[in-house]
Amino acid sequence: MNSRAISRRDLLFGRFRNGVRRALLPKPAVPATDAPTTAVIQGRHCLAYRGLMCSTCYERCPEPGAIAMERGIPRVNADLCTGCRVCHDVCPAPTNAVLLIKDRRAPKPQEGVR
Amino acid sequence: MDMERRDFMKLAAMTAATGLAGSMASRADASTSPPLPEQADIPGVTWDKAPCRFCGTGCHVQVGVKDGKVVAIAGDRQAEVNKGLLCVKGYHVGMILYGQDRLTKPMLRRDGELVPIEWDEAIDIAARRIMEHDKTFGFYISGQSTIPEGYAAQKFMRGGLSSNHLEANARLCMASAVTGFLSTYGVDEPASCYDDLDSCDTLILWGNNPAEMHPILFSRVIDRQARGDKVTIIDIGTRHTRTTERSDHFLQMQGHGDLAIANCIAQQLIEKVAYDHEFVEKYCNFRADRDPAEAFDSLVDHDTYVQHVKQEGHSGLFGKPITFEQYKKLIAYYTPEKCEELSGVPADQLRMLADTFADKSKKIVSLWCMGMNQHTAGTAINNLVHAVHLMSGHWGKPGDGPQSLTGQPAACGTVREVGTLAHALPGGRIVANEDHRTHAEDFWNLPKGRLNPKPGYHTVKMFEQLCTPTDQGGDIDTVWVQVTNPGQTLPNTKKLFKAKAELEDKFLIVSEVYPTATTELADLVLPAAMWVEKNGIYGNSERRTQQWFRMVPPPGEARDDCWQTLAVARRMYELGHPGFKDKDGEYIFRINDEAGNEVPYWQWEHYYDVNVDKHLFDDYRRFTFMKHKNVAPYDELVKHRGMRWPVVETEPGKFRETRWRFVEGADPYVEKGAGVQFYHSSSKDDRAQIWFRPHQFPAEVPDDALPLNLVTGRVIEHWHSGTMTMRVPQLRRAMPGAYAEMNPEDARDRGISNGDIVRITTRRGEIKLPAWINGRAQPQRGHVFVPFFDEASAINDLTIDAIDPFSKQPDYKKAAAEVSRLDQPHPYTEVVQ
Repeated sequence: MNSRAISRRDLLFGRFRNGVRRALLPKPAVPATDAPTTAVIQGRHCLAYRGLMCSTCYERCPEPGAIAMERGIPRVNADLCTGCRVCHDVCPAPTNAVLLIKDRRAPKPQEGVR
Repeated sequence: MDMERRDFMKLAAMTAATGLAGSMASRADASTSPPLPEQADIPGVTWDKAPCRFCGTGCHVQVGVKDGKVVAIAGDRQAEVNKGLLCVKGYHVGMILYGQDRLTKPMLRRDGELVPIEWDEAIDIAARRIMEHDKTFGFYISGQSTIPEGYAAQKFMRGGLSSNHLEANARLCMASAVTGFLSTYGVDEPASCYDDLDSCDTLILWGNNPAEMHPILFSRVIDRQARGDKVTIIDIGTRHTRTTERSDHFLQMQGHGDLAIANCIAQQLIEKVAYDHEFVEKYCNFRADRDPAEAFDSLVDHDTYVQHVKQEGHSGLFGKPITFEQYKKLIAYYTPEKCEELSGVPADQLRMLADTFADKSKKIVSLWCMGMNQHTAGTAINNLVHAVHLMSGHWGKPGDGPQSLTGQPAACGTVREVGTLAHALPGGRIVANEDHRTHAEDFWNLPKGRLNPKPGYHTVKMFEQLCTPTDQGGDIDTVWVQVTNPGQTLPNTKKLFKAKAELEDKFLIVSEVYPTATTELADLVLPAAMWVEKNGIYGNSERRTQQWFRMVPPPGEARDDCWQTLAVARRMYELGHPGFKDKDGEYIFRINDEAGNEVPYWQWEHYYDVNVDKHLFDDYRRFTFMKHKNVAPYDELVKHRGMRWPVVETEPGKFRETRWRFVEGADPYVEKGAGVQFYHSSSKDDRAQIWFRPHQFPAEVPDDALPLNLVTGRVIEHWHSGTMTMRVPQLRRAMPGAYAEMNPEDARDRGISNGDIVRITTRRGEIKLPAWINGRAQPQRGHVFVPFFDEASAINDLTIDAIDPFSKQPDYKKAAAEVSRLDQPHPYTEVVQ
């Protein structure tokens, strides 16, 4: 039995489904530049800020803790955000509420490095 | 196409800003007059109003059209229901028209393949088939059919074919609410309205998840909390949901625990003498399945009575009167401790809930939808929730009363009011009543005796008969499905739908907009216009009738469902079917122009020469007065974002809607000084019925072999079978497929981790899905939840087809199941061996 741990992202992106469906799903993000980016949720476009019970970005974020829900509102933890764009690609708001901005701070710590 | 798509996105984005700009908080108390600027001023875009195509909330949207395409959607700020706000589905409602696989050509199955044919041929085939099989033909429409579509189908079946095999998918959705209202108040549909949400102190959710299913209504309450209003939310359910996150109390129950919970409230109100004496004495009677006095000399205890009813059977939907003393004796059984045992809810929480009802200073709104309706004791639990409100006097005041929600935009308007069910006639009439049949025959100018007094088959029975070979008694051989997808939404679909594939002599006609699980087995597919591609009228859960105009042409050769019904009717008239002539020999659907000449609207190019909707609706309107469900005239609806019936003409040309039925001051039909008057009471004394309904266990309960309970339901992103929402890229990306939502402990016991593909097995079949643990919601231990929107995961192959004895509505929320990892032994093979 293949017991490879499957991330939530794999799961909800329907990686196990048939090819037709997969073709319709967002492509894995390819960063436009090498510069690190961070997601910022724009409250004026975000459905959750209007009491509309949306938590898609939180549910689909592949990085544990990078997006937290506080009183029904998603907040990005910039220290944990890898800028992978998944939240941007799945945001169902009529105007996409996720902005990816250049992270001007020091480079993010690499895995295993403290 | 690319260009158009980009335009669409750009405009959608532009207007979305205006749609979102005002939250409910800023708009809630503001006047809607003078009119606010409606929408962004975008060059070349014209705007018009329409109700949203999705759920029963009945939000209004402003639809922006440019060059014959819907290019923008904005929340309608003048709409009382949503005050400019929309949910995630609503903002994208325009995109449902533009899926890439719209059906645009009639198709006939030849040698197993659907091949394109011309409309004339398609109409002729349908007409000849129905003509030859008129007594074995079933018409299956929808709570998304428009009121004129429903009315046309109604007259087609009852008047044209003298047949009552007319059903609508609301049987799977609202039927128990209907029987609940009928047996409690003597007439169907909610007495209260959404305004109550703006003034209640306590919101009780009975197996309801409005945060996902009716987000606009729930946000009305959440918004009040954000502004500092104290609203206590009590969530009663089997699963910890997004609604639960916002609730003050969560009463986690077992399946059918709601029966015990409601009975416990009643028991406590009586025991503590906390019920509203005045309200009960003035306005209520007590009712039960059988009159105990027929068999017992003295007051009978609970167990003896339940046993008696079990042996003798119930005495019909309206039951028998019982005395208050007898009621008191029966209900005494439901102590908090007993109900804890039956429902799984701790006795302390039950007492808290009963105390809430006992507190007269509080204003309580109860909301419910599928949790109570899709229930083999659905009528009973509906009766009980009305009963606790009536007994405690939490009834008929603003912010204080029970409010049933619907899942479909015209479940009330088209199905309940027009009466597109096997036993019903328009306006609350029933086929079994001779006077009612005579009304309809007179209105329609039909010869006496044209209407058939015998009710037709209800939905489950109709499809069971379709799927039974003709030589084994399957006496339905032709079904026409419009605006719904039974191939995915019927329970136990293998038995009730897919079995049709093997039966060569059965014929399925499907009017659809996209390929679905239903068109897969169709013999004739008729491409349909949808939403703003046609004129329409819907009716939402608060009795609000909402009209819109056609704004864009349908794609290819797609045509209105209503036209399809009328064109087949005309063809049958031409072929000489006697039913399509009235008693003077005229065509029953004749429409004249102003000069008195017949309009040939059955020819598609002439369909919009007249407003067929207006003719049908104003014709139907005559039926609505008897039960005081007076809908407004068509021209009045054009001017409003919906009007709540009864709409009465206060002076010539002035119409007034009704917010609270049966309440003096609000309802014009309540006599002066009456206070509250249930003027259609089944006991003919202007009183409502407080029912005694004993607890009963679900039709299928988990056992050793199948130890889990399978619950099906919905998610916020998708609407019903996903036919529309799965074609909206934003919604599909946000929720691409079904999943099995498990309790972490159940998953751990089975060695299942997040994302593992699991097999769900019931006695009817199995399905493979990824497990989702600690996701959006969490079922309680022993439960597994699967949403049904995903066509690729036919969860309804697994559900049971047991039905409520009165409403005939199936239960999609209780089925014994097991979940296992794919590498584990198959659980059900052990069961059968």
